[in-house]
Amino acid sequence: MMKKGLAAFLAALLGFAVIVGIATFLLRREYHAPYRAPAAVTQETPRAQGIADEKAEVEKRDKEKPYQEVEYRQFPKIGSRVAVWIAAQLHLLFAAFVLAVPLFALAIEFIGYRTKDRRYDRLAHEFTKLLSVSFSLTATFGAMLTFGLIILYPKFITYLVSVFSPTFLPYVGLFFFEAFFLYTYYYGWGKFSPRVHLALGLGLNVVGTGIMLIANAWLTFMTSPAGISEKGALISTWDAVRNYTWMPINVHRIIANVAFGGSVAAAYAAFKFLGAKTDEERAHYDWMGYIGNFVAICAFLPLPFAGYYLAKEIYAYSQTLGLTMMGGAFSWLFIIQAVLIGNLFLAANYYLWLGMGRISGAEQFQKYIKYLLILVATCFAVWATPRSIISTVSEVRAMGGSAHPALQFLGVMSAKNTAVNILILTTFLSFLLYRRSGKTPTVSWAKAGNRAQLAIFLVAATIVISLGILGYFVEARVRIGFSIPQVLSVLFTMVSVTVIDVFLYRNATKTGEVRWGQIAPISQYVLIFIAVTFTWLMGLMGYVRSGLRQHWHVYGVIRDTSVDAFTPTLGFATRIVSVCVLLFFLLISFVFWLASLTGKKDWEPRPEKAAETERPGLEPVGAAE
Amino acid sequence: MKVPVSLRIAALAVATTGFYTYVGQLVPQKEVHPPAEVAISKDMKPDEMAKVGREIMEGKGLCFTCHTIGKKGPLRFPDLEGVDIRAKSRVPGFSDVDYFAQSIYQPSAFIVPGFNPGMPVINKPPIGLTDDEILAVIAYLQTLGGKTTVTMQTKLPYQAGGNGQAAAGTVAPPPAGPTGGPAATTAAAPAPQNAGKKPETPQNPNPSPPQ
Repeated sequence: MMKKGLAAFLAALLGFAVIVGIATFLLRREYHAPYRAPAAVTQETPRAQGIADEKAEVEKRDKEKPYQEVEYRQFPKIGSRVAVWIAAQLHLLFAAFVLAVPLFALAIEFIGYRTKDRRYDRLAHEFTKLLSVSFSLTATFGAMLTFGLIILYPKFITYLVSVFSPTFLPYVGLFFFEAFFLYTYYYGWGKFSPRVHLALGLGLNVVGTGIMLIANAWLTFMTSPAGISEKGALISTWDAVRNYTWMPINVHRIIANVAFGGSVAAAYAAFKFLGAKTDEERAHYDWMGYIGNFVAICAFLPLPFAGYYLAKEIYAYSQTLGLTMMGGAFSWLFIIQAVLIGNLFLAANYYLWLGMGRISGAEQFQKYIKYLLILVATCFAVWATPRSIISTVSEVRAMGGSAHPALQFLGVMSAKNTAVNILILTTFLSFLLYRRSGKTPTVSWAKAGNRAQLAIFLVAATIVISLGILGYFVEARVRIGFSIPQVLSVLFTMVSVTVIDVFLYRNATKTGEVRWGQIAPISQYVLIFIAVTFTWLMGLMGYVRSGLRQHWHVYGVIRDTSVDAFTPTLGFATRIVSVCVLLFFLLISFVFWLASLTGKKDWEPRPEKAAETERPGLEPVGAAE
Repeated sequence: MKVPVSLRIAALAVATTGFYTYVGQLVPQKEVHPPAEVAISKDMKPDEMAKVGREIMEGKGLCFTCHTIGKKGPLRFPDLEGVDIRAKSRVPGFSDVDYFAQSIYQPSAFIVPGFNPGMPVINKPPIGLTDDEILAVIAYLQTLGGKTTVTMQTKLPYQAGGNGQAAAGTVAPPPAGPTGGPAATTAAAPAPQNAGKKPETPQNPNPSPPQ
């Protein structure tokens, strides 16, 4: 117990030291105006007279001082932008978690209700345990963000209020109802009939989603303003809400939140698994980690398509914004994104392959893993290939330009779209093999079903690759259109193959049981790695969504004239993202620790202390009465 | 010595974020500042105008975010090499200056065949070039395959206060739009921006550029 406590303390200390280190590193690079001593002045009046005159002058100036509206205020040391950035990021991460967990907790509870399997109910309850403290932290960071904006960016916030004031009251109302539903859902577990409890969960989800939709309107308006005149005056609040990027962000965020929430819940299970004392505990948390990761990956697979939709609407609103994002200041950011997503795919597949080890009868599929790994690694490499390469003058001369003569063909969207679609298909295939492990279909059409699935996979892969190759030989506007059939063929494959598989393996004979808890411990570190990577990815993509406006608070309407009216380097942005991620994990560890306290025995004095208190001379006052 | 689990988890979190931060330092590092204003005077000569026009296109105008000069292959936006030659014959009845002016003030009026609409109205925010800056840009565009004829005194029908009347040193009002686009009018008001109301059916609000 002592050891665990010490280790937790050391871990917290290490995390804190790293954050302080990064913050110090950032501050060292802050620009400081050089100090210049005031020029010597000849004393012409007696000192006392001079002081009195100065005081009178100050008083006079104070009296005559006119009221001036402040445009900006500076946050000490780190500056306003970084202060608001950190508050917003932490608020968003906790909000995403609080919105996502009820979504799949409700789904799991519903499965438990339908199947009468109590394990699902227990699992859903365990997920929900993480919510109440996270909800408080979300509200705390939300308040910090709001006050930060009001204090540091008063003029800009006044403008946003002028456009969105009608949405504030509904927002506050929904927030109240979210608190009501959340606490009733959590504390009412097992206290109501299942249907009433499920209805409470549904209410929580509806209200939570409503809150997100309103907040999304504010931030998307800043990127793609609508419903206002050319001078920025409000014409229609509803049009301002449903601006070009509102719906794509809504879709993208709901899916991404579920992926993020699932991964963090899986990390919690991994944390509990690694500290488990009994096989039963290990089995439970292995299963919980699997479900959390399953939720995360299911949401993660369609996420790139939601990303396409968002990017399409950004281009539709303004080609300049779209090109700034993909071809201008932020183009290298997408290489970093490729590294992150590549790692996510690799880790997700690795976890599934490790998971096959706990299923007897999975051996028949393990021979395919090496081929899947080659595919994943190849697609990852293509996706992370930059169009131009950072090189020295002599290297540029040798290559005949800043682009590599051969690799440049992998750095274009035709190759990258193909790679990401194949990556998704491969991960889906890994999942399918995992799902089939230890089962044999009994339906009469099993062979035909397998063939149909294989054919669908092959046709989809052929479409994706052929269009990818064809993209090199057609006009840009035709090439851009190719991504739609590529995406649709992959989506069709995932849906149709899953449907066939569900019927194919209905009443299948089990050739081996899943031995929950008997998985290599490294798999649990993989789950934690996935959660950290997801969180970092959210931070990075949040930065590009916001940074896209560059020197505009509201694009084309309210210009940023503060000292921060420039886009920082990607290196700087990634350092801030890392600080946010480490802070988040420090805080979520606290949430995990609090959640693990429930169900523990009440505190009791140690036996020797108890004996001491029983000695007649130390009896508490009143004990003899 | 066995390392405690919580310490391992913390080390993994720190190492993972450290790795991604490191990747972030490997890519090119560039701060992007708001474009600087370029000094323009009414007595600039054509070659000075062209020089200033090039600077505006590289900076405040954001022209080279999309356009290229001398690039071949399947492009997303028209390449501007030799654009002045094409501008003289692109629209019947239009001089090169007429065509450039229309493309900048009313980019939806004519879409170059083979390209999607995509060019924003340049004299409105977020780019917001002034009339004088646009004249300088036209001066530079004329050097790409031709000779600068536009001057700082040239009146364009789209300019604030422009009445669309052709006169000495004034560009004639453009005739009806040639490719199914709205007729190019003599009105001073430029095409509406998409910063207003979102249409019922999403349309591309930023039409395409000149070639």
